Amino acid sequence: MTSRPWFVVPLLLAPGLGLILLLIGSVVYIAIAQSFGGFNITGTTEGYSLAFWQDTLDRRVYWRAVRYSLQVGVVSALLSVALAYPLALWLRKPFPGAAFIGAILKAPLLVHGLVAAFLYVNVIAYHGIFNQFMQAIGIWAEPRRLQNDPGAIGVYILQAWKNMPFALLLLTGSVQSISDDVLDAARDLGARAWARFWRVVLPLTTSGLQAAAVIIFIGALADFSFQVIAGPTNRMSMSQLMVFFKDRGDWHEAAVVGVTLMILAIAGAAVLTAFLQLLGRRRWRG
Amino acid sequence: MQGRWLDRVLLMALLIVCTIWLVVPFGMAILWSLVDPSEPWTADRLLPPAMSFYRWTDMWENSSLKQALTTSYLLAPLAALTSLTLAMPTAYALGRINFRGRELAKLAVLLPLVVPGFVTAIFFTALLFQLGLHHFRFAAILFAHAVLALPYSIRILTVSFEQVRQDHIDAARDLGAGWLARFRVAFLPALRPGIFASLLIVFIQSIEEFAIAFVVGSPDIVTIPTLLFSALGQDYVRPNAAVLSLILVVPNVMLMLILERLLRSANPTLASGKVL
Repeated sequence: MTSRPWFVVPLLLAPGLGLILLLIGSVVYIAIAQSFGGFNITGTTEGYSLAFWQDTLDRRVYWRAVRYSLQVGVVSALLSVALAYPLALWLRKPFPGAAFIGAILKAPLLVHGLVAAFLYVNVIAYHGIFNQFMQAIGIWAEPRRLQNDPGAIGVYILQAWKNMPFALLLLTGSVQSISDDVLDAARDLGARAWARFWRVVLPLTTSGLQAAAVIIFIGALADFSFQVIAGPTNRMSMSQLMVFFKDRGDWHEAAVVGVTLMILAIAGAAVLTAFLQLLGRRRWRG
Repeated sequence: MQGRWLDRVLLMALLIVCTIWLVVPFGMAILWSLVDPSEPWTADRLLPPAMSFYRWTDMWENSSLKQALTTSYLLAPLAALTSLTLAMPTAYALGRINFRGRELAKLAVLLPLVVPGFVTAIFFTALLFQLGLHHFRFAAILFAHAVLALPYSIRILTVSFEQVRQDHIDAARDLGAGWLARFRVAFLPALRPGIFASLLIVFIQSIEEFAIAFVVGSPDIVTIPTLLFSALGQDYVRPNAAVLSLILVVPNVMLMLILERLLRSANPTLASGKVL
Protein backbone atom coordinates (compact mmCIF):
# COMPACT_ATOMS: atom_id res chain seq x y z
CA MET A 1 0.00 0.00 0.00
CA THR A 2 1.40 3.39 -0.90
CA SER A 3 0.78 5.95 1.77
CA ARG A 4 -1.59 8.71 0.87
CA PRO A 5 -0.86 12.40 1.40
CA TRP A 6 -2.88 13.72 4.35
CA PHE A 7 -4.94 16.12 2.25
CA VAL A 8 -6.47 13.51 -0.08
CA VAL A 9 -9.34 12.47 2.19
CA PRO A 10 -10.39 16.02 3.16
CA LEU A 11 -10.25 16.98 -0.51
CA LEU A 12 -12.47 14.07 -1.47
CA LEU A 13 -14.91 14.84 1.33
CA ALA A 14 -15.12 18.56 0.54
CA PRO A 15 -17.68 18.60 -2.30
CA GLY A 16 -20.02 16.12 -0.62
CA LEU A 17 -19.80 16.11 3.14
CA GLY A 18 -18.18 19.54 3.09
CA LEU A 19 -21.13 21.19 1.34
CA ILE A 20 -23.59 19.41 3.62
CA LEU A 21 -21.81 20.73 6.70
CA LEU A 22 -21.51 24.19 5.15
CA LEU A 23 -25.19 24.43 4.22
CA ILE A 24 -26.71 22.86 7.32
CA GLY A 25 -24.11 24.55 9.55
CA SER A 26 -24.85 28.00 8.18
CA VAL A 27 -28.60 27.41 8.29
CA VAL A 28 -28.45 26.42 11.96
CA TYR A 29 -25.98 29.19 12.76
CA ILE A 30 -28.13 31.88 11.09
CA ALA A 31 -31.25 30.60 12.83
CA ILE A 32 -29.57 30.78 16.23
CA ALA A 33 -27.92 34.14 15.54
CA GLN A 34 -31.13 35.67 14.21
CA SER A 35 -33.09 34.50 17.21
CA PHE A 36 -30.73 36.63 19.33
CA GLY A 37 -31.06 39.65 17.04
CA GLY A 38 -28.14 39.03 14.69
CA PHE A 39 -28.11 39.06 10.88
CA ASN A 40 -30.65 41.81 10.63
CA ILE A 41 -32.00 41.68 7.09
CA THR A 42 -33.28 45.25 7.03
CA GLY A 43 -29.83 46.50 7.95
CA THR A 44 -30.73 48.26 11.18
CA THR A 45 -28.19 47.00 13.66
CA GLU A 46 -29.64 46.42 17.06
CA GLY A 47 -27.02 44.05 18.37
CA TYR A 48 -27.43 40.77 20.15
CA SER A 49 -30.00 40.49 22.91
CA LEU A 50 -32.54 38.22 24.51
CA ALA A 51 -35.34 40.60 23.54
CA PHE A 52 -36.77 38.45 20.75
CA TRP A 53 -36.85 35.36 22.91
CA GLN A 54 -38.55 37.28 25.71
CA ASP A 55 -41.11 38.85 23.37
CA THR A 56 -41.92 35.65 21.56
CA LEU A 57 -42.08 33.58 24.73
CA ASP A 58 -44.65 36.04 26.04
CA ARG A 59 -47.01 35.36 23.17
CA ARG A 60 -49.89 32.96 23.50
CA VAL A 61 -49.69 32.02 19.83
CA TYR A 62 -46.15 30.69 20.40
CA TRP A 63 -47.09 28.41 23.27
CA ARG A 64 -50.21 27.21 21.48
CA ALA A 65 -48.05 26.28 18.50
CA VAL A 66 -45.49 24.51 20.70
CA ARG A 67 -48.16 22.51 22.54
CA TYR A 68 -50.06 21.71 19.37
CA SER A 69 -47.00 20.63 17.35
CA LEU A 70 -45.72 18.45 20.20
CA GLN A 71 -49.13 16.83 20.42
CA VAL A 72 -49.27 16.21 16.68
CA GLY A 73 -45.72 14.80 16.75
CA VAL A 74 -46.26 12.42 19.66
CA VAL A 75 -49.76 11.25 18.68
CA SER A 76 -48.76 10.69 15.03
CA ALA A 77 -45.65 8.71 15.97
CA LEU A 78 -47.44 6.48 18.50
CA LEU A 79 -50.55 6.06 16.34
CA SER A 80 -48.52 5.06 13.28
CA VAL A 81 -46.42 2.45 15.10
CA ALA A 82 -49.46 1.14 16.99
CA LEU A 83 -51.27 0.57 13.69
CA ALA A 84 -48.21 -0.88 11.99
CA TYR A 85 -47.32 -3.46 14.67
CA PRO A 86 -50.25 -5.86 14.27
CA LEU A 87 -49.92 -5.67 10.48
CA ALA A 88 -46.18 -6.39 10.62
CA LEU A 89 -46.81 -9.40 12.87
CA TRP A 90 -49.58 -10.65 10.61
CA LEU A 91 -47.37 -10.35 7.50
CA ARG A 92 -44.39 -11.93 9.26
CA LYS A 93 -44.93 -15.36 7.79
CA PRO A 94 -45.51 -15.55 4.06
CA PHE A 95 -48.96 -16.67 2.97
CA PRO A 96 -50.70 -16.37 -0.40
CA GLY A 97 -51.29 -12.70 -1.04
CA ALA A 98 -49.04 -11.44 1.75
CA ALA A 99 -46.70 -9.66 -0.65
CA PHE A 100 -49.63 -8.05 -2.44
CA ILE A 101 -51.16 -6.85 0.83
CA GLY A 102 -47.80 -5.50 1.91
CA ALA A 103 -47.46 -3.58 -1.35
CA ILE A 104 -50.97 -2.11 -1.08
CA LEU A 105 -50.39 -1.07 2.51
CA LYS A 106 -47.09 0.57 1.64
CA ALA A 107 -48.50 2.38 -1.41
CA PRO A 108 -49.03 5.69 0.45
CA LEU A 109 -45.23 5.91 0.78
CA LEU A 110 -45.17 6.73 -2.91
CA VAL A 111 -47.84 9.41 -2.68
CA HIS A 112 -46.79 13.02 -2.19
CA GLY A 113 -47.98 14.62 1.05
CA LEU A 114 -49.85 17.39 -0.76
CA VAL A 115 -51.61 14.85 -2.95
CA ALA A 116 -52.55 12.89 0.18
CA ALA A 117 -53.95 16.08 1.66
CA PHE A 118 -56.04 16.70 -1.46
CA LEU A 119 -57.32 13.12 -1.54
CA TYR A 120 -58.42 13.42 2.07
CA VAL A 121 -60.01 16.84 1.67
CA ASN A 122 -61.84 15.59 -1.40
CA VAL A 123 -63.23 12.52 0.37
CA ILE A 124 -64.46 14.41 3.44
CA ALA A 125 -65.78 17.44 1.54
CA TYR A 126 -69.21 18.84 2.51
CA HIS A 127 -70.84 17.02 -0.37
CA GLY A 128 -68.08 14.42 -0.55
CA ILE A 129 -68.41 10.68 -0.56
CA PHE A 130 -67.93 10.28 3.20
CA ASN A 131 -70.73 12.67 4.06
CA GLN A 132 -72.94 10.94 1.49
CA PHE A 133 -72.16 7.58 3.00
CA MET A 134 -72.93 8.68 6.56
CA GLN A 135 -76.27 10.07 5.42
CA ALA A 136 -77.06 7.02 3.34
CA ILE A 137 -76.67 4.65 6.28
CA GLY A 138 -78.66 7.04 8.42
CA ILE A 139 -76.06 8.02 11.02
CA TRP A 140 -76.08 11.70 10.07
CA ALA A 141 -79.23 13.54 9.10
CA GLU A 142 -77.37 16.17 7.11
CA PRO A 143 -73.84 16.73 5.78
CA ARG A 144 -71.24 18.03 8.21
CA ARG A 145 -68.32 20.35 7.68
CA LEU A 146 -65.31 18.14 8.30
CA GLN A 147 -62.40 20.00 6.72
CA ASN A 148 -60.21 21.92 9.18
CA ASP A 149 -61.94 20.21 12.12
CA PRO A 150 -61.05 21.84 15.44
CA GLY A 151 -59.88 18.57 16.98
CA ALA A 152 -57.20 18.15 14.27
CA ILE A 153 -58.53 14.68 13.54
CA GLY A 154 -57.87 15.32 9.85
CA VAL A 155 -54.19 15.97 10.56
CA TYR A 156 -53.89 12.72 12.55
CA ILE A 157 -55.63 10.72 9.84
CA LEU A 158 -53.30 12.15 7.21
CA GLN A 159 -50.20 11.59 9.34
CA ALA A 160 -51.24 8.00 10.00
CA TRP A 161 -52.07 7.38 6.34
CA LYS A 162 -48.70 8.71 5.23
CA ASN A 163 -46.54 7.34 8.07
CA MET A 164 -48.04 4.00 9.03
CA PRO A 165 -46.55 2.44 5.84
CA PHE A 166 -43.14 3.77 6.80
CA ALA A 167 -43.42 2.28 10.29
CA LEU A 168 -44.65 -0.95 8.70
CA LEU A 169 -41.58 -1.02 6.46
CA LEU A 170 -39.18 -0.73 9.38
CA LEU A 171 -41.14 -3.02 11.69
CA THR A 172 -41.59 -5.75 9.07
CA GLY A 173 -37.82 -5.91 8.78
CA SER A 174 -37.24 -6.28 12.51
CA VAL A 175 -40.18 -8.62 13.09
CA GLN A 176 -39.03 -10.93 10.32
CA SER A 177 -35.59 -11.20 11.88
CA ILE A 178 -37.05 -12.86 14.98
CA SER A 179 -36.54 -16.57 14.47
CA ASP A 180 -39.40 -19.01 14.87
CA ASP A 181 -37.39 -20.92 17.48
CA VAL A 182 -37.57 -18.00 19.88
CA LEU A 183 -41.33 -17.67 19.54
CA ASP A 184 -41.82 -21.45 19.73
CA ALA A 185 -39.75 -21.57 22.89
CA ALA A 186 -41.87 -18.83 24.42
CA ARG A 187 -45.00 -20.71 23.43
CA ASP A 188 -43.68 -23.95 24.95
CA LEU A 189 -42.97 -22.11 28.15
CA GLY A 190 -46.65 -21.19 28.27
CA ALA A 191 -46.57 -17.61 27.02
CA ARG A 192 -49.85 -16.60 25.41
CA ALA A 193 -50.05 -14.31 22.39
CA TRP A 194 -50.13 -11.11 24.43
CA ALA A 195 -47.24 -12.18 26.64
CA ARG A 196 -45.24 -13.26 23.60
CA PHE A 197 -45.72 -9.81 22.15
CA TRP A 198 -44.76 -7.87 25.29
CA ARG A 199 -41.90 -10.10 26.41
CA VAL A 200 -40.39 -11.37 23.19
CA VAL A 201 -41.43 -9.39 20.13
CA LEU A 202 -41.35 -5.90 21.61
CA PRO A 203 -37.90 -6.18 23.24
CA LEU A 204 -36.43 -7.72 20.09
CA THR A 205 -37.84 -5.04 17.81
CA THR A 206 -37.13 -2.02 19.98
CA SER A 207 -34.53 -0.53 17.65
CA GLY A 208 -36.80 -0.66 14.61
CA LEU A 209 -39.61 0.77 16.70
CA GLN A 210 -37.42 3.61 17.94
CA ALA A 211 -36.20 4.50 14.46
CA ALA A 212 -39.74 4.57 13.07
CA ALA A 213 -41.19 6.55 15.96
CA VAL A 214 -38.40 9.14 16.02
CA ILE A 215 -38.44 9.81 12.27
CA ILE A 216 -42.25 10.09 12.21
CA PHE A 217 -42.17 12.31 15.32
CA ILE A 218 -39.73 14.80 13.77
CA GLY A 219 -41.67 14.91 10.51
CA ALA A 220 -45.03 15.44 12.20
CA LEU A 221 -43.63 17.98 14.68
CA ALA A 222 -42.44 20.10 11.77
CA ASP A 223 -45.54 19.57 9.63
CA PHE A 224 -46.66 22.46 7.50
CA SER A 225 -48.82 21.31 4.60
CA PHE A 226 -51.19 18.91 6.38
CA GLN A 227 -51.82 21.56 9.00
CA VAL A 228 -52.43 24.38 6.52
CA ILE A 229 -54.71 22.34 4.29
CA ALA A 230 -56.56 20.07 6.69
CA GLY A 231 -55.74 21.30 10.20
CA PRO A 232 -57.73 23.49 12.58
CA THR A 233 -57.83 27.16 11.68
CA ASN A 234 -57.78 28.45 15.25
CA ARG A 235 -54.15 27.53 15.92
CA MET A 236 -50.90 27.21 14.04
CA SER A 237 -48.25 24.53 13.92
CA MET A 238 -44.69 25.64 14.58
CA SER A 239 -43.66 25.50 10.93
CA GLN A 240 -46.76 27.46 10.02
CA LEU A 241 -46.02 30.07 12.68
CA MET A 242 -42.43 30.34 11.48
CA VAL A 243 -43.55 30.93 7.87
CA PHE A 244 -46.18 33.40 9.15
CA PHE A 245 -43.53 35.46 11.00
CA LYS A 246 -41.14 35.30 8.07
CA ASP A 247 -43.80 36.45 5.60
CA ARG A 248 -44.45 39.47 7.83
CA GLY A 249 -40.73 40.21 7.79
CA ASP A 250 -40.30 39.28 11.46
CA TRP A 251 -37.18 37.21 10.85
CA HIS A 252 -36.05 37.22 14.46
CA GLU A 253 -39.37 35.89 15.73
CA ALA A 254 -39.31 33.27 12.98
CA ALA A 255 -35.82 32.34 14.14
CA VAL A 256 -36.99 31.91 17.74
CA VAL A 257 -39.68 29.49 16.52
CA GLY A 258 -37.18 27.71 14.23
CA VAL A 259 -34.64 27.21 17.01
CA THR A 260 -37.39 25.99 19.35
CA LEU A 261 -38.46 23.55 16.66
CA MET A 262 -34.93 22.16 16.33
CA ILE A 263 -34.50 21.87 20.10
CA LEU A 264 -37.87 20.12 20.47
CA ALA A 265 -37.03 17.76 17.60
CA ILE A 266 -33.82 16.66 19.31
CA ALA A 267 -35.22 16.61 22.84
CA GLY A 268 -38.44 14.90 21.77
CA ALA A 269 -36.54 12.28 19.81
CA ALA A 270 -34.36 11.58 22.86
CA VAL A 271 -37.34 11.29 25.21
CA LEU A 272 -39.22 9.05 22.78
CA THR A 273 -36.17 6.80 22.31
CA ALA A 274 -35.69 6.49 26.07
CA PHE A 275 -39.40 5.82 26.64
CA LEU A 276 -39.52 3.04 24.06
CA GLN A 277 -36.26 1.60 25.37
CA LEU A 278 -37.79 1.44 28.83
CA LEU A 279 -40.97 -0.12 27.50
CA GLY A 280 -38.94 -2.85 25.82
CA ARG A 281 -36.59 -3.49 28.71
CA ARG A 282 -39.13 -3.45 31.52
CA ARG A 283 -41.02 -6.28 29.89
CA TRP A 284 -37.90 -8.38 29.57
CA ARG A 285 -37.58 -8.61 33.32
CA GLY A 286 -41.27 -8.49 34.21
CA MET B 1 -56.83 -25.06 9.83
CA GLN B 2 -58.11 -22.40 12.15
CA GLY B 3 -55.21 -20.24 11.09
CA ARG B 4 -56.18 -20.53 7.43
CA TRP B 5 -59.77 -19.51 8.21
CA LEU B 6 -58.54 -16.56 10.20
CA ASP B 7 -56.31 -15.52 7.31
CA ARG B 8 -59.28 -15.56 4.98
CA VAL B 9 -61.40 -13.38 7.26
CA LEU B 10 -58.50 -11.01 7.76
CA LEU B 11 -57.94 -10.92 4.03
CA MET B 12 -61.56 -9.94 3.39
CA ALA B 13 -61.42 -7.28 6.08
CA LEU B 14 -58.22 -5.98 4.57
CA LEU B 15 -59.68 -5.78 1.08
CA ILE B 16 -62.44 -3.59 2.46
CA VAL B 17 -59.91 -1.44 4.29
CA CYS B 18 -57.86 -1.28 1.09
CA THR B 19 -60.81 0.08 -0.79
CA ILE B 20 -61.10 2.85 1.76
CA TRP B 21 -57.32 3.14 1.91
CA LEU B 22 -56.61 3.60 -1.82
CA VAL B 23 -59.47 2.94 -4.21
CA VAL B 24 -61.94 5.51 -2.88
CA PRO B 25 -59.44 8.41 -2.53
CA PHE B 26 -57.87 7.87 -5.95
CA GLY B 27 -61.17 6.99 -7.62
CA MET B 28 -62.71 10.21 -6.38
CA ALA B 29 -59.69 12.20 -7.56
CA ILE B 30 -59.88 10.71 -11.06
CA LEU B 31 -63.64 11.29 -11.29
CA TRP B 32 -63.33 14.87 -10.11
CA SER B 33 -60.63 15.58 -12.67
CA LEU B 34 -63.08 14.49 -15.39
CA VAL B 35 -66.05 16.61 -14.30
CA ASP B 36 -67.23 18.63 -17.28
CA PRO B 37 -68.17 22.19 -16.25
CA SER B 38 -71.34 22.09 -18.38
CA GLU B 39 -73.12 20.16 -15.66
CA PRO B 40 -71.95 20.32 -12.06
CA TRP B 41 -71.54 17.07 -10.13
CA THR B 42 -74.19 17.43 -7.47
CA ALA B 43 -74.42 15.38 -4.32
CA ASP B 44 -77.37 13.30 -5.47
CA ARG B 45 -75.45 11.59 -8.28
CA LEU B 46 -73.11 8.69 -7.94
CA LEU B 47 -71.09 9.61 -11.03
CA PRO B 48 -70.47 12.99 -12.68
CA PRO B 49 -73.32 13.68 -15.14
CA ALA B 50 -71.00 14.91 -17.88
CA MET B 51 -67.42 13.73 -18.18
CA SER B 52 -64.68 15.09 -20.41
CA PHE B 53 -61.03 16.03 -20.47
CA TYR B 54 -62.03 19.71 -20.43
CA ARG B 55 -60.27 20.36 -17.09
CA TRP B 56 -57.08 18.76 -18.32
CA THR B 57 -56.88 20.82 -21.50
CA ASP B 58 -58.05 23.92 -19.68
CA MET B 59 -55.36 23.56 -17.00
CA TRP B 60 -52.79 22.91 -19.70
CA GLU B 61 -53.71 26.05 -21.63
CA ASN B 62 -54.80 28.53 -19.01
CA SER B 63 -52.77 27.99 -15.85
CA SER B 64 -49.15 28.02 -14.75
CA LEU B 65 -49.09 24.27 -15.24
CA LYS B 66 -46.82 24.41 -18.29
CA GLN B 67 -44.44 26.73 -16.51
CA ALA B 68 -44.47 24.53 -13.40
CA LEU B 69 -43.83 21.37 -15.42
CA THR B 70 -40.94 23.04 -17.25
CA THR B 71 -39.38 24.27 -14.01
CA SER B 72 -39.83 20.99 -12.16
CA TYR B 73 -38.60 18.79 -14.96
CA LEU B 74 -35.64 21.10 -15.63
CA LEU B 75 -34.73 21.37 -11.98
CA ALA B 76 -34.89 17.64 -11.27
CA PRO B 77 -32.38 16.29 -13.82
CA LEU B 78 -29.98 19.16 -13.11
CA ALA B 79 -30.23 18.52 -9.37
CA ALA B 80 -29.69 14.80 -9.99
CA LEU B 81 -26.54 15.39 -12.07
CA THR B 82 -25.17 18.00 -9.66
CA SER B 83 -25.81 15.77 -6.68
CA LEU B 84 -24.16 12.81 -8.39
CA THR B 85 -21.08 14.87 -9.26
CA LEU B 86 -20.80 16.22 -5.72
CA ALA B 87 -21.42 12.82 -4.15
CA MET B 88 -18.85 10.82 -6.13
CA PRO B 89 -15.62 11.90 -4.39
CA THR B 90 -17.11 11.61 -0.90
CA ALA B 91 -18.64 8.23 -1.69
CA TYR B 92 -15.27 7.06 -3.01
CA ALA B 93 -13.56 8.12 0.21
CA LEU B 94 -16.25 6.55 2.41
CA GLY B 95 -16.40 3.37 0.39
CA ARG B 96 -12.76 2.65 -0.41
CA ILE B 97 -10.46 4.48 1.99
CA ASN B 98 -10.11 3.43 5.57
CA PHE B 99 -9.51 6.71 7.37
CA ARG B 100 -9.98 7.83 10.94
CA GLY B 101 -13.44 9.20 11.65
CA ARG B 102 -15.05 7.41 8.73
CA GLU B 103 -18.02 6.22 10.76
CA LEU B 104 -18.55 9.75 12.06
CA ALA B 105 -18.40 11.10 8.51
CA LYS B 106 -21.00 8.54 7.40
CA LEU B 107 -23.26 9.74 10.20
CA ALA B 108 -22.67 13.44 9.48
CA VAL B 109 -23.76 12.88 5.88
CA LEU B 110 -27.29 12.25 7.19
CA LEU B 111 -27.57 15.72 8.79
CA PRO B 112 -29.91 17.24 6.16
CA LEU B 113 -32.48 14.57 7.00
CA VAL B 114 -32.63 15.63 10.64
CA VAL B 115 -33.16 19.38 10.26
CA PRO B 116 -36.84 20.08 9.49
CA GLY B 117 -37.41 21.15 5.86
CA PHE B 118 -39.01 24.48 6.64
CA VAL B 119 -36.23 25.47 9.04
CA THR B 120 -33.69 24.77 6.28
CA ALA B 121 -35.83 26.61 3.73
CA ILE B 122 -36.35 29.77 5.77
CA PHE B 123 -32.82 30.21 7.04
CA PHE B 124 -31.36 29.26 3.68
CA THR B 125 -33.40 32.20 2.36
CA ALA B 126 -31.95 34.35 5.14
CA LEU B 127 -28.49 33.23 4.06
CA LEU B 128 -29.27 34.18 0.44
CA PHE B 129 -30.36 37.63 1.61
CA GLN B 130 -27.13 38.02 3.59
CA LEU B 131 -25.06 37.09 0.56
CA GLY B 132 -27.19 39.23 -1.75
CA LEU B 133 -28.00 36.19 -3.86
CA HIS B 134 -31.76 36.16 -3.33
CA HIS B 135 -32.44 37.10 -6.95
CA PHE B 136 -30.92 33.89 -8.25
CA ARG B 137 -33.88 31.84 -7.15
CA PHE B 138 -33.59 29.02 -9.65
CA ALA B 139 -29.90 28.47 -9.00
CA ALA B 140 -30.51 28.66 -5.26
CA ILE B 141 -33.24 26.01 -5.39
CA LEU B 142 -31.06 23.84 -7.62
CA PHE B 143 -28.15 24.10 -5.19
CA ALA B 144 -30.34 23.34 -2.18
CA HIS B 145 -32.02 20.38 -3.88
CA ALA B 146 -28.67 18.92 -4.92
CA VAL B 147 -27.07 19.32 -1.49
CA LEU B 148 -30.11 18.25 0.54
CA ALA B 149 -30.35 15.06 -1.54
CA LEU B 150 -26.68 14.24 -0.96
CA PRO B 151 -27.43 11.88 1.97
CA TYR B 152 -29.27 9.62 -0.45
CA SER B 153 -26.74 9.73 -3.29
CA ILE B 154 -23.71 9.42 -1.01
CA ARG B 155 -25.22 6.49 0.89
CA ILE B 156 -26.10 4.61 -2.28
CA LEU B 157 -22.79 5.28 -4.02
CA THR B 158 -20.74 4.44 -0.94
CA VAL B 159 -22.20 0.95 -0.98
CA SER B 160 -21.52 0.71 -4.72
CA PHE B 161 -17.89 1.71 -4.23
CA GLU B 162 -17.57 -0.89 -1.46
CA GLN B 163 -18.69 -3.53 -3.94
CA VAL B 164 -15.94 -2.77 -6.44
CA ARG B 165 -13.51 -5.66 -6.16
CA GLN B 166 -9.90 -4.85 -5.44
CA ASP B 167 -8.66 -7.82 -7.52
CA HIS B 168 -10.43 -6.37 -10.57
CA ILE B 169 -8.65 -3.07 -10.07
CA ASP B 170 -5.33 -4.83 -9.50
CA ALA B 171 -5.81 -7.06 -12.51
CA ALA B 172 -6.56 -4.05 -14.70
CA ARG B 173 -3.49 -2.28 -13.36
CA ASP B 174 -1.28 -5.34 -13.90
CA LEU B 175 -2.50 -5.53 -17.46
CA GLY B 176 -1.30 -1.99 -17.93
CA ALA B 177 -4.62 -0.16 -17.87
CA GLY B 178 -4.38 3.55 -17.34
CA TRP B 179 -6.46 5.58 -14.94
CA LEU B 180 -9.44 5.94 -17.26
CA ALA B 181 -9.40 2.37 -18.50
CA ARG B 182 -9.22 1.09 -14.90
CA PHE B 183 -12.26 3.14 -14.03
CA ARG B 184 -14.13 1.83 -17.04
CA VAL B 185 -13.43 -1.87 -16.58
CA ALA B 186 -13.15 -2.23 -12.81
CA PHE B 187 -15.28 0.52 -11.30
CA LEU B 188 -18.05 1.28 -13.75
CA PRO B 189 -19.71 -2.16 -13.90
CA ALA B 190 -20.07 -2.22 -10.11
CA LEU B 191 -21.11 1.41 -9.90
CA ARG B 192 -23.67 1.52 -12.69
CA PRO B 193 -26.80 0.47 -10.76
CA GLY B 194 -25.81 2.79 -7.92
CA ILE B 195 -25.35 5.70 -10.31
CA PHE B 196 -28.78 5.16 -11.86
CA ALA B 197 -30.40 4.70 -8.46
CA SER B 198 -28.79 7.86 -7.15
CA LEU B 199 -29.83 9.90 -10.21
CA LEU B 200 -33.36 8.64 -9.91
CA ILE B 201 -33.76 9.17 -6.18
CA VAL B 202 -32.50 12.76 -6.39
CA PHE B 203 -34.77 13.34 -9.39
CA ILE B 204 -37.78 12.18 -7.39
CA GLN B 205 -36.73 14.12 -4.29
CA SER B 206 -36.40 17.27 -6.35
CA ILE B 207 -39.74 16.86 -8.14
CA GLU B 208 -41.46 16.31 -4.79
CA GLU B 209 -39.62 18.88 -2.69
CA PHE B 210 -41.96 21.55 -1.40
CA ALA B 211 -40.45 23.63 1.42
CA ILE B 212 -37.43 25.06 -0.41
CA ALA B 213 -39.29 25.60 -3.68
CA PHE B 214 -42.12 27.31 -1.79
CA VAL B 215 -40.07 29.56 0.49
CA VAL B 216 -37.13 30.37 -1.77
CA GLY B 217 -39.05 30.35 -5.05
CA SER B 218 -42.14 32.38 -4.21
CA PRO B 219 -43.48 34.29 -5.95
CA ASP B 220 -41.57 33.94 -9.24
CA ILE B 221 -40.80 30.26 -9.47
CA VAL B 222 -43.60 27.71 -9.63
CA THR B 223 -43.00 23.99 -9.35
CA ILE B 224 -45.66 21.29 -9.45
CA PRO B 225 -45.87 20.94 -5.64
CA THR B 226 -46.08 24.71 -5.06
CA LEU B 227 -48.73 25.01 -7.77
CA LEU B 228 -50.71 22.21 -6.15
CA PHE B 229 -50.34 23.91 -2.76
CA SER B 230 -51.83 27.14 -4.05
CA ALA B 231 -54.52 25.17 -5.89
CA LEU B 232 -55.43 23.65 -2.51
CA GLY B 233 -55.39 26.98 -0.73
CA GLN B 234 -56.24 30.43 -1.97
CA ASP B 235 -57.60 29.32 -5.35
CA TYR B 236 -59.23 26.00 -4.53
CA VAL B 237 -61.16 24.60 -7.48
CA ARG B 238 -61.71 20.95 -6.82
CA PRO B 239 -61.40 19.54 -10.37
CA ASN B 240 -58.24 21.57 -10.98
CA ALA B 241 -56.65 20.34 -7.78
CA ALA B 242 -57.57 16.81 -8.85
CA VAL B 243 -55.82 17.27 -12.19
CA LEU B 244 -52.68 18.61 -10.51
CA SER B 245 -52.63 15.83 -7.92
CA LEU B 246 -52.73 13.20 -10.63
CA ILE B 247 -50.01 14.98 -12.63
CA LEU B 248 -47.79 14.95 -9.55
CA VAL B 249 -48.51 11.43 -8.39
CA VAL B 250 -48.67 9.23 -11.48
CA PRO B 251 -45.18 9.74 -13.03
CA ASN B 252 -43.60 9.65 -9.58
CA VAL B 253 -45.16 6.33 -8.64
CA MET B 254 -43.78 4.83 -11.84
CA LEU B 255 -40.34 6.31 -11.25
CA MET B 256 -40.33 4.98 -7.72
CA LEU B 257 -41.22 1.49 -8.83
CA ILE B 258 -38.23 1.60 -11.19
CA LEU B 259 -36.12 2.96 -8.35
CA GLU B 260 -37.11 0.09 -6.09
CA ARG B 261 -35.84 -2.36 -8.74
CA LEU B 262 -32.61 -0.44 -9.17
CA LEU B 263 -31.98 -0.20 -5.45
CA ARG B 264 -32.44 -3.90 -5.10
CA SER B 265 -29.67 -4.54 -7.60
CA ALA B 266 -27.50 -1.66 -6.38
CA ASN B 267 -27.73 -2.58 -2.75
CA PRO B 268 -29.79 -5.44 -1.40
CA THR B 269 -29.76 -4.03 2.13
CA LEU B 270 -31.13 -0.68 0.98
CA ALA B 271 -34.07 -2.06 -0.95
CA SER B 272 -36.69 -0.39 1.14
CA GLY B 273 -38.40 2.14 -1.06
CA LYS B 274 -37.55 5.77 -1.20
CA VAL B 275 -37.32 6.60 2.43
CA LEU B 276 -34.00 5.19 3.53
